[in-house]
Amino acid sequence: MVSRGFTHLAEATEAALIIAAQAKDQAAFGELVKRRQGWARALLRRMCQSHAEADDLAQEAFIKAWDRLRDLETPAAFPGWFRRIAVTTFLMAKRRQKAVFEEITDASPLASEESTPEAAAGAKLDLEKALARLSDAERLCVTLNHGEGLSHSEIVEITGLPLGTVKSHVLRGTDKLRRLLDPDS
Amino acid sequence: MTDFDALLKRSFAEAHEPADDGFVVNVTHRVAKREADLKVRGYMQVGAITIGAAAVSWGLYAFAGAFSQDVAASAGLEVARLHAAVSTAPDAGAAAQGFVQSLGAGLTQILLVTAALAGGAVAYRATQE
Repeated sequence: MVSRGFTHLAEATEAALIIAAQAKDQAAFGELVKRRQGWARALLRRMCQSHAEADDLAQEAFIKAWDRLRDLETPAAFPGWFRRIAVTTFLMAKRRQKAVFEEITDASPLASEESTPEAAAGAKLDLEKALARLSDAERLCVTLNHGEGLSHSEIVEITGLPLGTVKSHVLRGTDKLRRLLDPDS
Repeated sequence: MTDFDALLKRSFAEAHEPADDGFVVNVTHRVAKREADLKVRGYMQVGAITIGAAAVSWGLYAFAGAFSQDVAASAGLEVARLHAAVSTAPDAGAAAQGFVQSLGAGLTQILLVTAALAGGAVAYRATQE
């Protein structure tokens, strides 16, 4: 594929693609999407329970990124900037579905675990299946903390949740994952 | 960091990323469609502004055709009055009084012109919407 200023888009650096996309080069943005779609969709798939919903949200996030790309000051900030867009898109979708993120009410969250075939067989669950057992808020906070390496305060900044709530969700979510992924512990 | 935290981080890092399976094409199509829509909207705005400007011009032209003689005659009369007032009463107070009188007499014309401009602006806005 040939685009403005590039002989081969595949050989262009991400920074160059971002600068070209900021100048409304659709082919450069397409290449950027190609390179980042795996990460973005994996992130949203961990946060959502449904792959189809996650892919829709990822698509929406990329469209928002296209619209707002000129606001990005430095290409190096793209991953964090895009992650924020993805999380905001996810939160907006969940709020439309009336999901509650602030409350911490889930006292016995794994009550249904015993009834699942995997648990009955004593088999270890994979990460994705284990994440699906968490509440939306726990999944979001655990994914951002353990998956994306964000600190609690960074999660507060990106989600707008109170610090205490974020800490509780991370703690509870991690504890549930420990019980699901490492039942012997 | 506990062993489990490390294990968890590793599990996240090692989790597979989904294959493209048409995702990129969908996004690029939506971006292209969005840009085409924006272009169409831009053309429509330019068209609306042109129509609005034409409507205002036409309004002013019609107004001038209907009232220009009266306006010109009245304006000339007011200028003559103003000139007479200034020349017969050289002091500043009398001149100012004459000017205010002239202004008062010319208020009808000023209101008519203002109304025409306002009408033109309304027509322009209506075409923009």
